Amino acid sequence: MFRTARSKVQTWITAGAGTIAALFVAGLMGAFGALPAHAPPQLPLDTAIDAGRWRVQPVRAYVSHAKVYGVLMKPGQKALVLEADMTNRTAQSDKAYFDVFKPDGLALPDPMPMIALTRDETLTPELHPGMTERMAYVWPLAGDAIVPASLSFGVTAEIFKPRDNLYGMPGWFNPYRLGTITLPVADVPATGS
Amino acid sequence: MRIRILGNLVILGATVVLSYGMQVSKPHYADLTAPIPADGAMHDTIRARSFDVRLDKVVFARALKTNQFGRQKLLTTSGLWAVVTTSLTATAASTTVADGTWQGPTGLRYHQTERLGYRQDMPPHGVDPGLEKRGLLVFEIPPDQIRGASLLIAARQFGPLDAQARISLDGLPTSADGQPADVLPEYDLDAPPPQGKS
Amino acid sequence: MSAVSTAPGPIASEDRQAEQKWRRRSLVALAILLPLTLAETSYDSLREWLHGEDLIARDVDFGQSVPFGGSDWKLADLRGGKAGRLPDHAFAVIATFSVKIGDPDLQKQWLGCKLMLTDAAGRRWLPDVIAGVSLPAGVMNCTSAIFSGVKKGDTVTIGDIFIVPEDAVKTIRPAVGLSSERPWFLRFQRPPK
Repeated sequence: MFRTARSKVQTWITAGAGTIAALFVAGLMGAFGALPAHAPPQLPLDTAIDAGRWRVQPVRAYVSHAKVYGVLMKPGQKALVLEADMTNRTAQSDKAYFDVFKPDGLALPDPMPMIALTRDETLTPELHPGMTERMAYVWPLAGDAIVPASLSFGVTAEIFKPRDNLYGMPGWFNPYRLGTITLPVADVPATGS
Repeated sequence: MRIRILGNLVILGATVVLSYGMQVSKPHYADLTAPIPADGAMHDTIRARSFDVRLDKVVFARALKTNQFGRQKLLTTSGLWAVVTTSLTATAASTTVADGTWQGPTGLRYHQTERLGYRQDMPPHGVDPGLEKRGLLVFEIPPDQIRGASLLIAARQFGPLDAQARISLDGLPTSADGQPADVLPEYDLDAPPPQGKS
Repeated sequence: MSAVSTAPGPIASEDRQAEQKWRRRSLVALAILLPLTLAETSYDSLREWLHGEDLIARDVDFGQSVPFGGSDWKLADLRGGKAGRLPDHAFAVIATFSVKIGDPDLQKQWLGCKLMLTDAAGRRWLPDVIAGVSLPAGVMNCTSAIFSGVKKGDTVTIGDIFIVPEDAVKTIRPAVGLSSERPWFLRFQRPPK
């Protein structure tokens, strides 16, 4: 009788230890998460920025009222355009550049930009290792949307893992906001480029 | 009892050591399921599982002339265009050959260009047994990626455990600084085949 | 625990025996269950693979009509020659089948319909396009037949165009594969000369 009671207590403690440890770690992580986060830094415009797979150098931003780099607009729409020189820093051709830039504080009808190679208006081509190309990010906007004269864009980067946890393959994971760039936004009337 | 506990600990420790040793020393999943290379040189016929391929010619050019939707287009690049002519034949059954990669001397992988849009003579190439077919592959590469490069050709882009022809490009004439010996100012994709040397 | 169980009574030794028995049973069960699990998990892939491959030929004499995918198939004609723009040492071949529709639900029965030519060496050719060669009037290919809205009892002519090298043209035989019948496919004897 005494023996079974004691072993029961032991069993409970053994089983409970894991739970208690899990609760403790979760609590700790929650506490760290609740700490005020570091604001992502303001990134310089005059040097290229290493953002995960891409080295980016923003060139200019403007609002276009007409077709730009072959991207058609619905009637009554205008478009926010960001041109940037992009270099593939990885070892293979890639086109995972859709989430690199995102304008802050604008209501976008479609958060996914159209991205064109400015060289010949090819939409979303793969970019090859070490070959810098100028790309135009085009976000359609409602015609009456107000775009400030100076606009900030969030820059998102990913981290490289030589081996992922599931298949042991190399890859880019865990996107995070690397920082912010702020550019003046010109307004290009319909007759312009 | 004490010995038993000790024995269990030894077994546990041995398992951990063995598992770690295996994780470190055994090939990774990515390597185990990688395409199986079939090696060869320029002008050799290389047997990949579902197709035979022979690399006939590599032409470098600064610009590509092409017809897109009835519009003449001159495509430029920050590097060089490499237009690769191959002869393709299916081995056992009609199939397609869709994937080409230019692998630089340090292992950088330049996938075939997507800037040409749809063209009949661009991948995927439909190939039949017993019928040799000319298949073009077009790449954008920096000039320093030519010497020591090889060309990877496979039936599809993600083909685990399928054959991949790996053709060494050592036969390409380059000057002392690694630049190709002959670069055309412009290559017309719609002109009839003989254009440029080797 | 060892301090308490210094004097194992009859109950304890009986417990141990029962435990050992169960341990042995579990080992035996593992030997049976593991292969079963493997078979169960691979069953779907195996079935899918078999339904995608034309593996086992069912030979059909010329003039004979065979039920296949809910309809009766018969080789109508096989003709070859030089026509249109062909590569060197190649022939154009047109194979036609006369099919009496049994089950008119072709979108289900004829899914993955594949007309082929096979030669004596087992090589296979799929339909091709030849500039300057078209199917005879009233002949449909598989895809257009599926959407042609045929009724039960109709007889339709199905056919396609192939490019075949010179060395194979003497031994080629037409064949038909359907997803609903795979891994079996029909291989027809050539019409007598």
